Amino acid sequence: MQIKDSNRNRRDFLVLAAICLVLQVAVAPNIALGNGRANFGLVFAGVASLLVGGQLGVFCGFLAGLVFDLSTTGPIGLMAFLLTVGSYIVGIEARNRIADDFAGSMRLFAWMALIVSLAYHVAMFLVGEATSIVDVVLLRTLPTSALTLLGFAPFAYVISHATGSALSLGGKPSKSARSHGSRYDLGNL
Amino acid sequence: MPQKGGATPPSTRFRRTDADGGLRICIVFVVLSLVMFTASVREGDGPGVFTTARGAWMTITMPIRWVGGAVTAPFQGLGNIFANLTADQERLSELKAENERLVARNAELEESEQTARRLESLLGLQSLYNLQSTGARIISGSTDSWSSTVTIDKGTSAGLAVGMPVTDSNGAIGQIIRCGAASSTVRLITDENSAVSAMVQSSRAQGVLRGSVDGTLRLSLVRTDQNVEVGDTIVTSGLGGVFPKGLPLGTVISVERTSGALYYDIEVEPLSSTESFEEVLVITSLTEDQKPTAEEVAQADQQDSAAGSGAKDESASESGEGDDEQPDGTSSDDGSDADDEAAADDQGQG
Repeated sequence: MQIKDSNRNRRDFLVLAAICLVLQVAVAPNIALGNGRANFGLVFAGVASLLVGGQLGVFCGFLAGLVFDLSTTGPIGLMAFLLTVGSYIVGIEARNRIADDFAGSMRLFAWMALIVSLAYHVAMFLVGEATSIVDVVLLRTLPTSALTLLGFAPFAYVISHATGSALSLGGKPSKSARSHGSRYDLGNL
Repeated sequence: MPQKGGATPPSTRFRRTDADGGLRICIVFVVLSLVMFTASVREGDGPGVFTTARGAWMTITMPIRWVGGAVTAPFQGLGNIFANLTADQERLSELKAENERLVARNAELEESEQTARRLESLLGLQSLYNLQSTGARIISGSTDSWSSTVTIDKGTSAGLAVGMPVTDSNGAIGQIIRCGAASSTVRLITDENSAVSAMVQSSRAQGVLRGSVDGTLRLSLVRTDQNVEVGDTIVTSGLGGVFPKGLPLGTVISVERTSGALYYDIEVEPLSSTESFEEVLVITSLTEDQKPTAEEVAQADQQDSAAGSGAKDESASESGEGDDEQPDGTSSDDGSDADDEAAADDQGQG
């Protein structure tokens, strides 16, 4: 039986979005690996698409990409486009995957991070922002993907090990979730 | 409870609320993204909807950036202390007393000391070069992995504008490329797309200093018949009309001369390293004595005219191609003047 706790789920999702926003704006610029910086927009989109997928996943991907674009000096819309497509593809059959298959989620997200980062940097290369494709791949794409995966891991770990709560981002588990043994009950988000 | 599909794991408890799995909304957002991307690229750095939106976003998120910079600043200080501790251990036997004193230092005092030193240096630089400037503080680094930029805590409300050069206590660090009401984005000289008209301090050889992806700087357009040596200081030439003349930029760490090449391949190590919460000066206007003299402009003209004609001869003899490819990848019809190109590069950053 599907039990809905939409308000709580929405609130938890907003908390997740706020955390990722703060990390993207405040922390990501100050922690770098070579030329790479973590993309917490990608982390948020990945969590959303792996947890919920569908329309909400796509929406979160677009929104996260737009926020990332606004925070950078690159063209607006590029990351939004990539995260929209990425979230749709990952979200097609991956709903609630973090809860069911932590290692699989990590692998799937690693691919998502790598492909999205590569596409982003290659696109920037094609619009004339760099002269060497080798630099683009080795010095930008790989560090970015690695840091983003590192940023995703704590979220995935917390969510996969949480019990009795919706997104388990804080607060007590809902009665409905406890009584029905549901770990992730995002319902009609 | 309806399950979403055959491939879904049995424990999945989600219902499909969107029959097409979000395909329609995906198409809508994809189209919207592409439209925004195209419009954004067309708009460039000039005024427009996206520039305004980005400026507003920077202003809104500035407090968060500020907090982020404040939180991470002590960790940078800890890095310095760790380096000090390592050095102390190496000299422990002969410098015991000094070692104990250094160990007793805490991160806050270290940071305060460094801040005071930077401020003193900035004041010294301001007075040495007679800079008309406004002080600001770096609050954040680059958000993406693409560009080498920093965000400073002053914007148009403090009289700053796009194109203004920025220096720290060691010398020039970059130029403002975006200006919000309360914050500005500075493109560092190490950015791959940065180019500053520069010269070798000792020999006065003119060139263009470009950033690179590995963080080093490359001085291009310096003719091989001029004198450049490892250890030479590179300073701004002022020819671009943006940076004041004579600001230190870096030190030459390697000079290579390829056989048959018209220009040196010079690698330069930047003098400045930007960290969060460091103080910088934004140069708001240039005085007459900070601009290049007519003699220097003529010298640069002469230098590149000679190189341009040399390039033409060589190009004709080697490939027969019409235009001369410059070593830095730019090409021009007439072996362009270094100062013209430098001016275009400097301005182009804005």
